[in-house]
Amino acid sequence: MSETPPDVPGRWRRATAWYHRILSYLLMVSVAILVIPVTLQIFSRFTDLIPHYIWTEEMARFLFIWTVMIGAMIGVREGLHFEVDVWPRVRPRVEAAVKLMAKLGVLALALVFVWSGIEFTQFAWNRISELAELPLWLIHIAWPITGLTWLLFLGEQFVDDLRVLLGRSS
Amino acid sequence: MGSAVLSPGMAALILFGLFFLFLFLRVPVAFALGLACLPILVIEPRLSAMTLVQETFNAYNSFILLAVPFFLLTANLMNVGGITDRLMRLSRTMVGHFPGGLAQINVVLSIFFAGISGSSTADAASQSKIFIEAQRKEGYDDSFSVAITAVSAVLAVIIPPSILMIVWGGVLTVSIGALFLAGIIPGLLIGLAQMATVHAYAKVRRYPTYPRSTWREFLCASWVSIPALMTPAIIIGGKIFGWFTATESACIAVLYAGALSLVVYREMDFKGLQYALLDTGKLAGAALFCVGTASAFGWLLAYYQIPKAILEGVSAWNMGLTATGFFIAFVFLVVGCFLDAIPAIIIVGSILQPLAKAVSMDPVHFAMIGIVSLAFGLVTPPYGLCLMIACSVAGMRIGDALKDTLIMLVPMLMVLALVIVWPDVSLILPSLISPEFLR
Repeated sequence: MSETPPDVPGRWRRATAWYHRILSYLLMVSVAILVIPVTLQIFSRFTDLIPHYIWTEEMARFLFIWTVMIGAMIGVREGLHFEVDVWPRVRPRVEAAVKLMAKLGVLALALVFVWSGIEFTQFAWNRISELAELPLWLIHIAWPITGLTWLLFLGEQFVDDLRVLLGRSS
Repeated sequence: MGSAVLSPGMAALILFGLFFLFLFLRVPVAFALGLACLPILVIEPRLSAMTLVQETFNAYNSFILLAVPFFLLTANLMNVGGITDRLMRLSRTMVGHFPGGLAQINVVLSIFFAGISGSSTADAASQSKIFIEAQRKEGYDDSFSVAITAVSAVLAVIIPPSILMIVWGGVLTVSIGALFLAGIIPGLLIGLAQMATVHAYAKVRRYPTYPRSTWREFLCASWVSIPALMTPAIIIGGKIFGWFTATESACIAVLYAGALSLVVYREMDFKGLQYALLDTGKLAGAALFCVGTASAFGWLLAYYQIPKAILEGVSAWNMGLTATGFFIAFVFLVVGCFLDAIPAIIIVGSILQPLAKAVSMDPVHFAMIGIVSLAFGLVTPPYGLCLMIACSVAGMRIGDALKDTLIMLVPMLMVLALVIVWPDVSLILPSLISPEFLR
């Protein structure tokens, strides 16, 4: 990776940036759609314009799960997951070492999400949801996908931190 | 618990020990909570790492938590749609002529904002952008500006509607309508305490003030703001009269704020909408992912009956009602320094509930002590989200804003003491308007 100058992003970096954009777009859409089932639920109770659908509540919950998971995926790339900072300000190289250590923790949980998430998805393979009768694996698969996405984004950040640590670039 | 391999003491040591170790190593809080669970899940033959996945799934599979993204979205729509601007103009005509006019506006706008949105982090994010730069230009000290923006943002979860009240009501089965009513007086008292603090600062440091607005200006600003000021009535009224559930009332808030932005004030464009949606998703993702791992952590605590073990030590002290209240506030204030409010409710709220019950404290009173204390935790380091947000907007370190924040917390803590000592501060409104919600 040392042959790629940092200002010209390689193919891998472009791919993750592209993936990040798609995820952001999906997140935007899913937040917007979240409003729909709950609105339907309210209107069907107070008016006779639409029938009282029973699946709105479950639909809203499942969409919500995906929204949280996509938000958590993007959060790792953008560093949005809150952390407690009790360290004094340190030199950039020490800072990079600390960051690298913290990311090992994120990496460990990412592996668990992939490993147990696959089991979790298989477990739901032949089951359907109670109300909307959706295949449940559609929801459970959010866990392994989240884990894989974290691994992808983490790989990029590991490279950056290692560079600072080894003094290759600022 | 004969089947468990680990003793409760051992399990508690592993859980809390690892959690604090990972926090210290700057692993994000959500991941630290999940990682702390792992060794136990592996050691215990009846559990496996899939328990972690299953518990996070159960936590997100909740219709109540859905209120969180809705309130965040409401706040974002208010900002891009011009509602915040109008409320700010109204605040200026009300308190602009007080000493430290702009800082007073900062507090009053937070009170209005709190009545519409239920999220302190959204309040801190939007008001930091509005006020910190403006106050800097008018000659306020940076640390003062950051501190007042952060501490006034905590009002959003104390004055209804409030995400914390919805989560508290859902997790500990308390009437959310009663909590909404109970929060009004303590919230306004804290707002007043903050305005008094600003007054004192402004007198000592000679902060600037605006010329007094005319009645005409005040009436015009009020008239323009009426549609926005109707929101709290719709949300809180709808919840109290049982028209909507808590989540539905949050959804109504989104629709109403959206309609105001698009139809009445007409300031939202497509780009603004996109920004509001994306920002909501990111903030909700970060805040709620943590709820999942916190639930797994809390589930393990319950599995080993650790809360019971902790409480046996405490109930031996034989505290009375007031002493228990102060103890509960103390625990939540300490926990709030290290944990976000929602996970804290899930983990600590259920630990302390039997303690409150033992001294026959009203569940709504208990909830208000907890929520106000946790709200203060939003500005106490090392983990005070509102303070972190305000500092990052101002581009300064938390340590530099700490002194002013702590000074401002003193009058707020006095209000908390009042809430503890005098249950009626919280209970009078619910008992007047809807006594059926209490007990």
